[in-house]
Amino acid sequence: MSEYHLVRRGDFSYKRVIICYAIGILVSLGIGALLLIGLGINPIEYYGRMLSIGLIGNRYAYKCIEGLLKVFVPLLITSLALGLAFKMRFWNIGGEGEFLIGSICAAIVAFNSNGMPKILTIILMCLAAALSAGIVGLAVAALKVKFNTNETLMTLMFNYIMLYLIRYLGNTKAGWNFFLNPESERPIFGQFEENCKMGGIKIGCFTLLYSVIAAVMITIIIYIYLKYTKQGYEISVVGDSSATARYAGMRVGRIILRTMFISAALIGLAAGLATSTAGTISESITNNVGWTGVIVAWLAKLSVPGIFITSLLISVLQYGCQAAATQYPSIDSNFADLLQGIILFSVLAADFAATFKIVKKEGPKND
Amino acid sequence: MKKLISIVLTVALSAFAFAGCSASGAEGESGSGSDFRVGAIYINSQNDTSGYTYAHHKGITEAMTAAGLDPATDLSIVDNVPEDAEQVTAACDQLAGEGCDIIFGISFGYIDAMEAAAAEYPDIIFSHATGYKSNSTNFNNYFGRIYQARYLAGIAAGYKSLALGNNEIGYVSAWGTEYAETCSGINAFALGCQSVNPDAHVNVYEIYTWGDQDLERQAAETLIDTFGCCVIAQHCDSAQPQIVANEKGVFGCGYNSDMTAEAPDAHLCAPIWNWSAYYQTAIEAAMSDPSAFMSTVGNYYEGINSGLVAVSELSANNEPAAQEAIDIATDLMKTGAWDVFSGTALSFTGDAGSVAVTENAADLLDSDGNVIVAAGGASVEDGVIQGSMNYYVAGVTQVNAAEG
Amino acid sequence: MQAAIELKGISKSFGSVAANKNIDLTVGKGEILALLGENGSGKTTLMNMLSGIYMPDSGSIFIDGKKVKINSPQAAGKLGIGMVHQHFKLVERFTALDNIRIGMGKEAGVFFKSGYTRKYVMEIAERFGFNIDPDKYVYNMSVSEKQTLEILKVLCYGAKIVILDEPTAVLTVQEIERLFEVLFKMRSEGHSVIIITHKLNEVMEVSDRVAVLRHGEYVGSVETKKTSEKELTELMVGHKIDLNISRPMIEKTQPLLEIRDLTVKSDEGNVAVDGMNFYIRGGEILGVAGIAGSGQKELCEAIAGLRPIVKGQMIHDGESIVGMSPKKISKHGISMSFIPEDRLGMGLAPSLSITDNMILKSYNDSKGIFVDRKDARIEAAETIEKLAISAPSTETPVRRLSGGNVQKVLLGREIKSGPNVLITAYPVRGLDINSSYMIYDILNEQKQKGVGILFVGEDLDVMLALCDKIMVMCHGKLQGVVNGNNATKEDIGLMMTGALNIVNKEGKTDGIAKDSIIKDGKEEESV
Repeated sequence: MSEYHLVRRGDFSYKRVIICYAIGILVSLGIGALLLIGLGINPIEYYGRMLSIGLIGNRYAYKCIEGLLKVFVPLLITSLALGLAFKMRFWNIGGEGEFLIGSICAAIVAFNSNGMPKILTIILMCLAAALSAGIVGLAVAALKVKFNTNETLMTLMFNYIMLYLIRYLGNTKAGWNFFLNPESERPIFGQFEENCKMGGIKIGCFTLLYSVIAAVMITIIIYIYLKYTKQGYEISVVGDSSATARYAGMRVGRIILRTMFISAALIGLAAGLATSTAGTISESITNNVGWTGVIVAWLAKLSVPGIFITSLLISVLQYGCQAAATQYPSIDSNFADLLQGIILFSVLAADFAATFKIVKKEGPKND
Repeated sequence: MKKLISIVLTVALSAFAFAGCSASGAEGESGSGSDFRVGAIYINSQNDTSGYTYAHHKGITEAMTAAGLDPATDLSIVDNVPEDAEQVTAACDQLAGEGCDIIFGISFGYIDAMEAAAAEYPDIIFSHATGYKSNSTNFNNYFGRIYQARYLAGIAAGYKSLALGNNEIGYVSAWGTEYAETCSGINAFALGCQSVNPDAHVNVYEIYTWGDQDLERQAAETLIDTFGCCVIAQHCDSAQPQIVANEKGVFGCGYNSDMTAEAPDAHLCAPIWNWSAYYQTAIEAAMSDPSAFMSTVGNYYEGINSGLVAVSELSANNEPAAQEAIDIATDLMKTGAWDVFSGTALSFTGDAGSVAVTENAADLLDSDGNVIVAAGGASVEDGVIQGSMNYYVAGVTQVNAAEG
Repeated sequence: MQAAIELKGISKSFGSVAANKNIDLTVGKGEILALLGENGSGKTTLMNMLSGIYMPDSGSIFIDGKKVKINSPQAAGKLGIGMVHQHFKLVERFTALDNIRIGMGKEAGVFFKSGYTRKYVMEIAERFGFNIDPDKYVYNMSVSEKQTLEILKVLCYGAKIVILDEPTAVLTVQEIERLFEVLFKMRSEGHSVIIITHKLNEVMEVSDRVAVLRHGEYVGSVETKKTSEKELTELMVGHKIDLNISRPMIEKTQPLLEIRDLTVKSDEGNVAVDGMNFYIRGGEILGVAGIAGSGQKELCEAIAGLRPIVKGQMIHDGESIVGMSPKKISKHGISMSFIPEDRLGMGLAPSLSITDNMILKSYNDSKGIFVDRKDARIEAAETIEKLAISAPSTETPVRRLSGGNVQKVLLGREIKSGPNVLITAYPVRGLDINSSYMIYDILNEQKQKGVGILFVGEDLDVMLALCDKIMVMCHGKLQGVVNGNNATKEDIGLMMTGALNIVNKEGKTDGIAKDSIIKDGKEEESV
């Protein structure tokens, strides 16, 4: 009777990780190619378009980069924020809800800004977004610290509360509902005035939005925060062993509250930037970053440079799949999602293979 | 590592930024040999087999084939786009980048993003269904007078109720007076019924969603069982109300497609859309002279005359006189001599082979007895575009109380 | 008597530590065998091999005379071996019956033939005299009911050999009586029972035969009728071995830390430390002996400020430390290095580097928002060199180090802060001989510097050689304090099991210093 079981690999080698990932990605692309051939599409051409995010043969190539960055910025900031909480073993999966409340509060500022100066308006929008989301994060953390509630459930359910709230706001025509466009008979979210819309630096036709610069700065700040500051050190210790942290005299409850506030506030900030960039709000403004961010944070093993690279690659994948699908009338976004899913699944499998090995359970050495 | 990435990224960004400026990139190859490219933004997937997106996709591909384009190579689609300005903008950018010459957006919520995209890309025509915005050069809206087709279906239902001696007619509706689109459809249908059976009474059951098969079924069951309706009309996505009518041995008028297959013993006829009628007009105009698009096509709001709306072929379940009456009414609307919401009511009399119509000047009253159009007055707009029709005409009752 | 199980030459090592060495053991049919031994003597390891959790490195197991291979708990089950663990493995949200049913597999049928299983389970319950409500939910059950269910479960799965790991630890006296009745019933049905326990009186009451393990070796077995508690204790602790650990004698100071009438509760809310008195002088090592779970952990945590106390006094350097934060107590000069079972749970952050672990208590001393790692790196390097820690660099995560090196890092950090009272719990747990001696040297060095050391240990030989005094705990109570150079292992063994109490002997009270600054239960104003 021989049985097999999983054993965590003792050593770590970059070579093995790279090989595993390469095999995983090749396998997923192979499966995708078979499906594409089945649909009568040349897979090499399709992948070419996908990986070049539709740049090839595009009249407005700079728009592709702008579009990619619009996907990238919220994902990057959200993943960093989630990574911060995860590092402390606080399972904040309320990214969607925190993003939405941030977005709603940014919109409240925007719809009531009445010609305030642009810089002031956008800063206020981001502040409102960050603060509102941060307070939610703080509340969840407080319940956890005080009553040991399950933060996974709390944050998960909060996502749905916010989703239904924004749905309600978007569907209810009423005098008080300043979110809606008053001109339209059908309920539809209004557009922000020019003073609420994110600006950028013009490089030729290309506009480098300030939100991109903000995101890069946030990445660097978080990197320094986690690696060099006392608060960052406390997060690592609490995440590693809260018994040790308490023993070292750290006030674990306070650290959890503080970190969760920062985590949620950052997601709110991402929402503020995204809302200002979009110039309006909608139910789908999160673009699922609350969920994708969880995958990014884990794939990157919670390392800040890793999150930067992973979220960029996932943005390319998302944007590229969509771009490639556009050019083939028979390919719809469901197929693009399927392909993305296959690739992500393979990468996770590769990561698993790089971390664990399967060994045969040995029988006793009898004489 | 990070430094390297940021440098690479910056270089790449600036390179593309300048490369893209000339806006002269190679265009997509076209199998038909034509340079013309159509773009479409769908709310669902083009691979759907029924429903709203399906109907539009069918219209676009038929129109392209008729115009000598190949949908397999000359059409770019961004599908599953929610009513979210950012995603609609991204879709517009994508389609513009691929060299589309005309871009259709089929859902109401695309309105603001398409307006902005039209301003950003003056060389491309943006055409938006069900909206109310436009500009003078490259942005129009399009929709159809589906109420005319509903009036015709009402005639068929009126004959059936007369023959059965039952004045109660049911109507399963997504919404009621909240949307002019549903409200005008109910009113036109009721007026059609009344042109044959002056005592016909339309019972509206509102389900508060554009599509939910269970609710649609329950509504139809209530209308038949509780209110004793003999014909079930509908303004909702699925064929459930017709299937219920079939099960319960009453009759019905479907919507969007001929539902005779789903309800062979019950279905009379259905108001239907032929979107290719518009798409062909729009694509041909854009191909010949895009700069004149707003004068040749403009905001498009056509009815029976253009073929955009129609009733499906009458099934064998109809009363024999129905076809004749429908033909007469169709001709009146086609010539523009008469329209539904006017101060003139049609009245059909006579048996099959000798159906006659009389035009009686009469006040068009709402369900509270207020005069909408004085006797002999011209037809008012159904208000779908402007959203002004928010009342039921006399003879219509909503049977389930309004929510809230 | 016919043998149900026969073990021949079983050995098992974990890394460099041998848990079982060449063990031969036989259990007869219809016999209750008590397995006796100190903590760490290898009892649980041996039983885990019988129940398929571990595989022996060498040796053979025979069931009913046939040689078998037990490589999974399922395989053990098929061979008729069932183990009842100290920690119950039950589904809280299920009823008793459902808990049994989920493990029955094919026998219960695809659709869980409810009536059949119920009948079957109730038959077995009746046969062995279990008093059980099959429809009661586990979350509604008392500890004793849960244990009954566990035993019934393994019997329902067809176990002929039932292993019970310290079953009485959690039971009241009446419940223990009832358990024993069930065991006798099992014996009369021809089942074999192996019961692991520390409590000698229970061994005498329930078992037919007693097998003793010491330091992973099989000492021998005796018939219960022909032995006494005293003989068993001797077998268990063995004769004193000279370990050649040095015990430098230096002049002792006044009591540095005095504990009076201390009562502390465990996580579960039971009284874990019950009115303890003791004191530590500078320049002495005070050993704490006791069976695992006698309150050692709670005692250490209370002194370090990690656990609130119920009542009592703790005076350090003339000042009460009751209610102080862990940080303040640490600043006060009390340092604790506690090595829990998993070795990394408390005191260290395993994923962090040696450097980062060195600054765990002092990271906040520097000014500004940044952690100062420059000095810490130098200190880490010094500690690595001084304690001969084998590590690739100061930036190696502690998790990657071997057990001995982990313990040296922990001890190194605690010593570095210059405490005058050092609490160490199980500092040599899991270490090989050389590493252990290195730790003893470090402790002696500290002692010579005038530090008072509380040494919570497991190995009596080591404690007798190293400690100046040894206090013995049983069920959270002080059983007495003995001198390291003239105490016997037998006495300590009897005190550990609660059979001997010498606290009030020859007119003095153990644990209260002659020169105590606590007078009449009241603290004297600090001098």
